Amino acid sequence: MENILDDYAHQNALRDVDTRLKLVLGGGAIAVGILSTAPVAPVLIAVSMAAITVFLARIPGRFYATLLAIPLSFAVLSAGVILFLQGGGEPLIALPVGGFTLTATTGSADMAALVLARTFAGMCSLFFIAFTTPMVEIFAVMRGLRLPAEFVDLAMLIYHFIFMLISEAVATHNAQEIRQGYTGFRNSLRSFPMLAGALFVRAWEKGEELILAMDARCYDGKFPLEERKDGPSPQSTAAVAAYLLAVGIIALLTRGIQIF
Amino acid sequence: MRDAIEFQDVHFAYSNQPESLRGINVAVREGSKVALVGPNGAGKTTLLLMCNGMLRPTRGEVRIGGVPVQYDTRSLREVRRKVGLVFQNSDAQLFAPTVWQDVAFGPLNLGMEKHEIEEAVEQALHQVGMNGYERRPPHHLSGGEKKRVAIAGVLAMDPEVLVFDEPTSALDPATAEEVMDLLDELNHEGRTILLSTHDVELAYRWADEVILMEDGAVLRHGSPETIFSDPALLHQARLKPPAVLDLYRELSDRGYFKDKTPPRSALEFTDLVEGLASSMPAHDECGTIHLWDAAGTDSTALAALLSSGSVAWVGAMGTRAKRRASEEGIVPDFTYGVIDKCLLRAVAGEDSLILTTGGMLDHTCERIVTYARESGREIKIRAIG
Repeated sequence: MENILDDYAHQNALRDVDTRLKLVLGGGAIAVGILSTAPVAPVLIAVSMAAITVFLARIPGRFYATLLAIPLSFAVLSAGVILFLQGGGEPLIALPVGGFTLTATTGSADMAALVLARTFAGMCSLFFIAFTTPMVEIFAVMRGLRLPAEFVDLAMLIYHFIFMLISEAVATHNAQEIRQGYTGFRNSLRSFPMLAGALFVRAWEKGEELILAMDARCYDGKFPLEERKDGPSPQSTAAVAAYLLAVGIIALLTRGIQIF
Repeated sequence: MRDAIEFQDVHFAYSNQPESLRGINVAVREGSKVALVGPNGAGKTTLLLMCNGMLRPTRGEVRIGGVPVQYDTRSLREVRRKVGLVFQNSDAQLFAPTVWQDVAFGPLNLGMEKHEIEEAVEQALHQVGMNGYERRPPHHLSGGEKKRVAIAGVLAMDPEVLVFDEPTSALDPATAEEVMDLLDELNHEGRTILLSTHDVELAYRWADEVILMEDGAVLRHGSPETIFSDPALLHQARLKPPAVLDLYRELSDRGYFKDKTPPRSALEFTDLVEGLASSMPAHDECGTIHLWDAAGTDSTALAALLSSGSVAWVGAMGTRAKRRASEEGIVPDFTYGVIDKCLLRAVAGEDSLILTTGGMLDHTCERIVTYARESGREIKIRAIG
């Protein structure tokens, strides 16, 4: 269960679409969403990106919704704060709380709606990348962009060892759990530092093992990366360009529209 | 024959620890299959780590192909190319984000050209039957698949000697047998294989020679029969005899089997016991063993044979044959110990089919003919296609 997001990234229906194209689509959508001054275009981006992820990449809708609920709950909270802290425009509602009165104005409501829409658009675009593009492909693009080899190699090792660390953590956690390690607050308080300590030692050992494993295969400072030869197909390039152009134009045309 | 690896009075101690190797003198012949057997803490892993210079003896000398190992960076690279080491824990060996990257690690660091690397990776993955998995991350693979990729990562450097630390630990029995089958295949290509194991059954059936270790020293070095027939020796090394030998010994203690060589397999044991029976059951005719070259392009004869329903058992031998079998939609009944199992079926009067490729075709014929001659039975071989 622990690497389910990564599993989807490896199995989704858009796995074989050119990585750079997917990154441009996701990145472009994020940029348009952030630059929009009205909520129309971001909402459009959010809905279309979610649709692409669920229907084209065939990510199960329920899983997608569960995952999206996490960042969105934060966004809703912050939108609530903005609603009552920002000013400008006509007052909409006034809530007396004890000695204070919390007032929401048209200006603050518009601001809250915009923030919510932008966050929504950004998250959906980011999820599109996360669900359709395995990290491995992003490493290849990073090397293609001539980022320093030290940086990319280290990123690859870190990526691999995240999964090692998770499985170690799960194993240790289970070992504690079967011996009542997490029954009650006091026990949890005692067990957790032990888990952290054990993980530190295990990580250190894994590091030493890694050096042995690399040495055993003649490590000479080089880390292989498979290069993909096939570029993006003209149709998909055109589709991505058309999509970005369309949302860009919509963002421009609807820039003055406010809800309240 | 030349010695592939030679230990001369090798001593070793981890810092501030008592000696874990106390004067090892042993040699592994080129092209042989050698099993290093011994209890936990006997120093097996330590000895294996010396084979490619991962550890340096505190005293004594390790020779690879007759040349003493030098411990400067340049010489060590050459040693590690010649001697491939496969760790016990595949997770410790696979560190790259994808299978392809992991297998390409050795060739790239040896400074191969791009097309050479691609070729080496392709061939190594083909040998272990893992092509098609190139872009999968290792942590998504099963234990057996991880082991195969780990072996491919070493094979990609084209080593002359392969050293395995407990290759079958943590694998289920069928997967373990298939990995051993793969090691046999690699040995057929002329590579020397040295492995450590606790599994006496495996060591007994598979090895040409056994090195028995205990407490940092070599107790005995010899043929599997001599070592596993010595109860006192096995007791000292905290091992037990293989089941076949155990039965053989109990029966010979009761006065059977005068001057017979101990059996190596279920097939040999069955024949020995049958030889004892005074009234042999009236023998029907032996079954036929069909042979099909799995590298062949035309599978019509194969399909005809299978659809006729006369073949009761199908065995696939070797990685290529197994792959071909799955392409043809055949589910083999035997994926390891194939020749022995088909011989046993043939003696029981049933027909079988063996799919295999290349040099193993001749090897299979030879085995069947030799067995037929020695047992005085008539077993027909039919090549199809």
